[in-house]
Amino acid sequence: MMIQLVTTAQSVDQAEALIKAGADRLYIGNSRFGLRQKGDWTIEAVREVTQLAHRYGKEVTVAVNNLMHNDHIEELTDYLQTLKTIGVDDVTAGDPGAIRLIRQAKIPYWYDAQTLVTSAKQIQFWGKREAIGAVVAREVTIEELVLIQQQIGLPVEVQVYGPTCIHHSKRPLVTNYFNELGRPVEEAKQREFYMSEPADTTTRYPIYEDENGTHIFSEDLTLMGQLPTLVKNGLHTWKLDGWHAGAQFVEIVQLFTYARTNLLNGRFDRMEMEQRLHELQPEAFRLGTGLWLRKPEEIK
Amino acid sequence: MKQRPELLAPAGNLEKLKMAIHYGADAIYIGGQQFGLRSRAGNFSYDEMREGVAFAHANGAKVYVAANMVTHEGDIEGAGDFFRTLRDIGIDAVIVSDPAMIETCLTEADGLPVHLSTQASATNYETLRFWKEEGLERIVLAREVSMDEIVKMKQEVDVEIETFVHGAMCISYSGRCTLSNHMTLRDANRGGCAQSCRWKYGFFEEGDLLTEEMEARDEEPFSMSSVDLSMVRHIPDLVEAGVDSLKIEGRMKSIHYVATVCNVYRQVIDAYCEDPEHFVFDPAWEEEIWKAAQRELATGFYYGIPTEKEQLFGKPRSIPQFAFAARVISYDPVTGMATLEQRNHFSIGEEVEFFGPGFVRFSQVIETMEDVDGHLLESANQAMMTIRVKVDQPVATDYIMRKRKGVRARALV
Repeated sequence: MMIQLVTTAQSVDQAEALIKAGADRLYIGNSRFGLRQKGDWTIEAVREVTQLAHRYGKEVTVAVNNLMHNDHIEELTDYLQTLKTIGVDDVTAGDPGAIRLIRQAKIPYWYDAQTLVTSAKQIQFWGKREAIGAVVAREVTIEELVLIQQQIGLPVEVQVYGPTCIHHSKRPLVTNYFNELGRPVEEAKQREFYMSEPADTTTRYPIYEDENGTHIFSEDLTLMGQLPTLVKNGLHTWKLDGWHAGAQFVEIVQLFTYARTNLLNGRFDRMEMEQRLHELQPEAFRLGTGLWLRKPEEIK
Repeated sequence: MKQRPELLAPAGNLEKLKMAIHYGADAIYIGGQQFGLRSRAGNFSYDEMREGVAFAHANGAKVYVAANMVTHEGDIEGAGDFFRTLRDIGIDAVIVSDPAMIETCLTEADGLPVHLSTQASATNYETLRFWKEEGLERIVLAREVSMDEIVKMKQEVDVEIETFVHGAMCISYSGRCTLSNHMTLRDANRGGCAQSCRWKYGFFEEGDLLTEEMEARDEEPFSMSSVDLSMVRHIPDLVEAGVDSLKIEGRMKSIHYVATVCNVYRQVIDAYCEDPEHFVFDPAWEEEIWKAAQRELATGFYYGIPTEKEQLFGKPRSIPQFAFAARVISYDPVTGMATLEQRNHFSIGEEVEFFGPGFVRFSQVIETMEDVDGHLLESANQAMMTIRVKVDQPVATDYIMRKRKGVRARALV
């Protein structure tokens, strides 16, 4: 049984450390064509990390999952040709127009329309149009995930660690807010901010702005405790997002690698694994299970 | 003479459907009892759809059904039957966003046209090309698309384009916001949106919990509430860009809203298309639009990225609010008496306004009012009661009488 660890990477150096920590596939990209990628992934850097990964027998997936406007589409074919020449293994995409061009370029793609990927039948639709797998929305429950994977032959990627985006606006909402307050707007794009719910001021949702607008993240999610359920049900593609794990991210990936080994050996100790993950988790961010453990009927 | 785009209006029930058509809509979109995104809006039973379709078709109008839910496991059950029933009822098209629902409709309800919902965020011409090749007839664009982008899309792809011209807006890309799911366990993409974007949030930086400081300084909290869209002044641009259908938002809105907004857009579209060269925008149209407004109005993404001015911050600006006071049942030109069905309280001496299709409108002070037996009344204070009122100008069946009902705070949290 092959369990694949997919991890974000912020630099070539970090990528090498992540591979050594057990990452099988590196997920990178730039904010022109991809969504919410950290790091400066120039063409040169993409080439370098692809060569590095392939040397280790690992893979590289490039994010092409932005919502594309006409001007993105005009540049996309060239970008895809460059990625193909570099030899990246595949891309993620959710925009049907982008998918059309990706198929023309003959690059394998994972269907990733973020919040909109919620059923087996949707994934089958894209499977018939050459998708090699799908990144499932974090708004489904584990019960639904299991049902989805049972019905399809393609791998379903599940986020087992890190925050997920719960709001994407094309508007510069932080800049707009700062303008309203009369605060210097240069700060809006340079710093990291958080928002808290009116009813629970202990919540902390990262919010930031880039050229694609404004993004709000959930709290950090983890499925460490549910890894046995995933394995048992054939959910073998695990994504880890190091958005704000900082320097700890490599160790977190290492811990999931260790958990994977133990699971396959029948020595997985849930208490110990969860405990160790909590120790590595940056103090400022709560670690939760989001909607994963809800009953489907609880969500109206 | 220009080709007129379709004016597409929402209807939460049969009465609104009929009034929207009466007030100038070329097509109406409604919800069925399943698969929609407005679980709390009035939704149509199959029998009501039959009646709506019969009325619409008799008046040369079309009826579309929104079935734009993003389905989870199990939700899609029965969709094939649902689509076939709609087709057999004579529904003119369905508005869908979920690819599984689109596939079900195309394969199991052959002959029922499919429109891509705005929830699918179509933002480029290549996406239009994709869906056209899949067999869709029309694409409802994302609200984030600009006028220049529409022009380019029309040059690139020959498929019908529908865009929103009026109503409330998601602050996010539609479909890409699940604040409501994560904060309230209500699925924004299955009709449960709690409008969490319009809440007031704490806002702070790392290691610097600013919320309390903000409160201490009485600082405006963070919020993401959009003002509403109105393209009433820019219909010529949309016609010139070649947009096929102009859509009004609001399946949950009142009859007063639907009638007022349809009436205005009908006037603007006709005035421009009949004689583009001599078209002059009549300020009365905009004045009328404000009578149905609940928030401030702006042009969304058509001419640029919205700034803080297009968000609801700070002290609310007051917008006078009008209520649906009565509906005209009949009119007697000999006596000058209008027979009305009451919808909101009004009294002798009150100044009201009558309006009707074709942008007829006039003010009236209620001077004589009687019940059906001819007894003089001081006020009309029972819901749906029938009364007769003397009017200075002729009215007709389905004219609306509105009254001012004070001022409403702008922010709707």
